[in-house]
Amino acid sequence: MPIGVKVMKRPIKQTSYLRATLKGMALTFSHLLRPKVTMQYPEEKSSKDWTLSSRWRGTHRMLTDEQGRAKCVACGLCPQICPANCIKLVPGEDEEGNRYPLIYEIDEFRCIFCGYCQEVCPEEAIHVGVHYENSEYSRDRFVYDLERLTAQTHPVSTLWDPSDPKGE
Amino acid sequence: MADGMINLTIDGAPVSVPPGTLVIEAAKQAGVLVPHYCYHPGLPVAGVCRMCLVEVEKAPKLQIACATTVTEGMVVKTQTAQAKDARQSVLEFLLINHPLDCPICDQAGECELQDFVFQEGQARTRYAEFAKRFNPVEDFGPDVLYVPNRCILCTRCVRFMEDVAKEPVLNVSERGDRAFIGIHPEARLDHPWAGNVVDLCPVGSLLSKDFLHKARAWELDKTASICTGCSQGCNITLDTRDEVVVRVRPRPNLEVNRYFICDHGRMHYKWMNRGDRIEAPLVRAGAELKATDWDEALDRVAAILRGAEGRTAVALVSPGASSEALALAKRVFTGFAWTGAFQVVMGEEAPLTGVPDLALRAERAPNAKGAETLGYTRDYAQALAAAKSAAVVLVLDDPDCAVETNGTLIYLGTVLGVDAPCRRADVILPIANVAEEEGTFTNRDGRTQRYYQAKPAPGMAQPAAWVLGQLVAAMGLAEAQR
Repeated sequence: MPIGVKVMKRPIKQTSYLRATLKGMALTFSHLLRPKVTMQYPEEKSSKDWTLSSRWRGTHRMLTDEQGRAKCVACGLCPQICPANCIKLVPGEDEEGNRYPLIYEIDEFRCIFCGYCQEVCPEEAIHVGVHYENSEYSRDRFVYDLERLTAQTHPVSTLWDPSDPKGE
Repeated sequence: MADGMINLTIDGAPVSVPPGTLVIEAAKQAGVLVPHYCYHPGLPVAGVCRMCLVEVEKAPKLQIACATTVTEGMVVKTQTAQAKDARQSVLEFLLINHPLDCPICDQAGECELQDFVFQEGQARTRYAEFAKRFNPVEDFGPDVLYVPNRCILCTRCVRFMEDVAKEPVLNVSERGDRAFIGIHPEARLDHPWAGNVVDLCPVGSLLSKDFLHKARAWELDKTASICTGCSQGCNITLDTRDEVVVRVRPRPNLEVNRYFICDHGRMHYKWMNRGDRIEAPLVRAGAELKATDWDEALDRVAAILRGAEGRTAVALVSPGASSEALALAKRVFTGFAWTGAFQVVMGEEAPLTGVPDLALRAERAPNAKGAETLGYTRDYAQALAAAKSAAVVLVLDDPDCAVETNGTLIYLGTVLGVDAPCRRADVILPIANVAEEEGTFTNRDGRTQRYYQAKPAPGMAQPAAWVLGQLVAAMGLAEAQR
């Protein structure tokens, strides 16, 4: 006998899988009775237990005045504050001689969604949005111009919790 | 300390100034900037803004630093609670009717009201329940807009027009909170030096139409330069935004232009941004001009010069070229029978009456004196005639030069018209313009002043002094005339 194999003798209580299987199945079936947490995205985008935070910082939106024109006055603060340098602004005048952006473009690929542009805007014109679905067929579609920014309809970010503005 | 000087103490720092000095100027020596609006060193003292209130020991009440002359042993304190409180109150009054439109105001970023409110003003208004006064924007002149809402009535513009330009077309109309800067009903602010009121205005009330909404103050890069508009040689600052010159502003120099420049000089910058520039050296290959690199182009010129050595050469130069380029354009023809000439565009002389020896000069060229000193003549017609039979003709940055020659033509220039005579040249070398190089000009009084590079040159263009310096070196003349 080349190698002696020692065969352990264990009681049936220990070697039967029945007990473990039943235990596992009990857990499985108990989950059937628990409330569901899976959300059926994209059919379902928020539930009563979970919604996107109102402080979420996503792709931008430019707010408009009563005439539907962008509120922007081309003051130049957002391109100045932008740490990613993703805002292009060429100031000019509108038909009434008011200061107005001739070109206003945000490169959403370069943007780091810090929300400084919204924070610095004296006219409350540019906002980061509560929005996360941004698929496109070409890369250049991610440079949002003024028309595209004003056409966005998603809600805008609050940046801070309205009930706790100082973050305490 | 020198005799005849007055010794006083400002915020604990001892200063010694000549008699008659104003406290505000003495404070600058002590490194203290007393906030002020109506005071400007280039204008008569008015003392109307009441902003520069400081405490003077043994004086019964606060004194305005701009209208108080220094006395021996005076002790001035600018930062006491009383002085600060008084200045804060003045700022509060100024802000009652000042609109909060900094985002659309061209002055934002270089506004003295902004600066001093941030420095020592109070953060909130106590007059929120009343509407601010409103007056529409007025068109004052060819380049000046007046925004009465922003005006703080410092009267710098009024005093400039009255005492410096001596054409009193502005005044303070109405009284109290209805006061505004008025213009004579039949007059326009079209004095050739009127643009200075825009620089003098401490707030965004007087605006340049040319600069309106073009750029924000904090986006501008500032470069010391010399105005090329005439032979006066005013010191200027070139403001560039993204490598485009957008504005020209005076740079104080008490010996030349004090604090002012004329409107001609102020508007004389657009050509610096020209897009249709020569961007590569061009050498002639038969009937064609072929773009090439600097080595080949310079070799070609050096070969031309060596082949013609000892014969006649004519240099037709622009009096807007730097003295360095002009000197090298002469040295490169060492050993030639050389003639150099320039022509100056003439215009109308427009003096600034209130400042002695300051005018927009009839001679519209910055370096005519420098060219003359270096041996160039004003006899352009004769030089043009001489060019016909010359072996080599060098044209330096004179695109409209009507040159005709049977010899070899070399053109150093920034631009080249479609049917410019210089298109017949054998070699065309691209050079930088005044905003793209460093150099010196000599003004009409013989004062040599340096200007600096404000933006990069397009393509392969190089400063004329570099190009000619390379040629001088290639000819082995670099050490010759030391």
